[in-house]
Amino acid sequence: MMAVVDLDLVRSLYKTPGAAQLKLDVAPRFKLGDVVVALNINPSGHTRLPRYIRGKKGVVERDHGVFHLPDSRAAGKGDAAQHMYTVCFDAREVWGDEAPAKDSLRINLWDDYMTLA
Amino acid sequence: MNSIHDMGGMHGLGVVNTADDEIVFHADWEGHTMALARAMMAGKHFSLDEYRHAMERIDPARYLGLSYYERWLAGTIAMLVKKGVITQDEYDAQLGALSQEEA
Repeated sequence: MMAVVDLDLVRSLYKTPGAAQLKLDVAPRFKLGDVVVALNINPSGHTRLPRYIRGKKGVVERDHGVFHLPDSRAAGKGDAAQHMYTVCFDAREVWGDEAPAKDSLRINLWDDYMTLA
Repeated sequence: MNSIHDMGGMHGLGVVNTADDEIVFHADWEGHTMALARAMMAGKHFSLDEYRHAMERIDPARYLGLSYYERWLAGTIAMLVKKGVITQDEYDAQLGALSQEEA
């Protein structure tokens, strides 16, 4: 059923912080400090796992709670609700020894994108 | 999808413009494009994730030549046709009519 876009809907969309977060009780697969490896997946569909991070090792830094898996929703296969985290990767792990030693990057990754190192 | 949108780590694309004072919309049609896309998603015609995938499927050579909101517009049109909100024939006919009006 298609929703009618009225002013109340627009207001609620723009003024509700964190509206994308799902209020579901789903157990996290990882905890803060876990060393993880991003999976080497190459789906023809949508994914939020960038190529340059696949197979790289990082540390779980923050658990944002439960969100829908973009890959699943993009394919019309439902929410596949799961935890989404900020994972910290050392710049040298990603780009090699020429990267500055003090640099790191943080990427939001879902449960399905990772395995324990 | 492994395509041109996933350009992290690629060289040769020039510097990233990080100007603090960059204006949000460079022309009215850009704002209209954003409003249309948001309205379509609020109306449940397609999800944000389907929409992103539509943009990812733009031909790579064409993708590089499009501006940010031109990609939004291309994605919106692709989604509207895919979901049956409009047909490609209707879109082409309307575009033809508008081009004639302008000429």
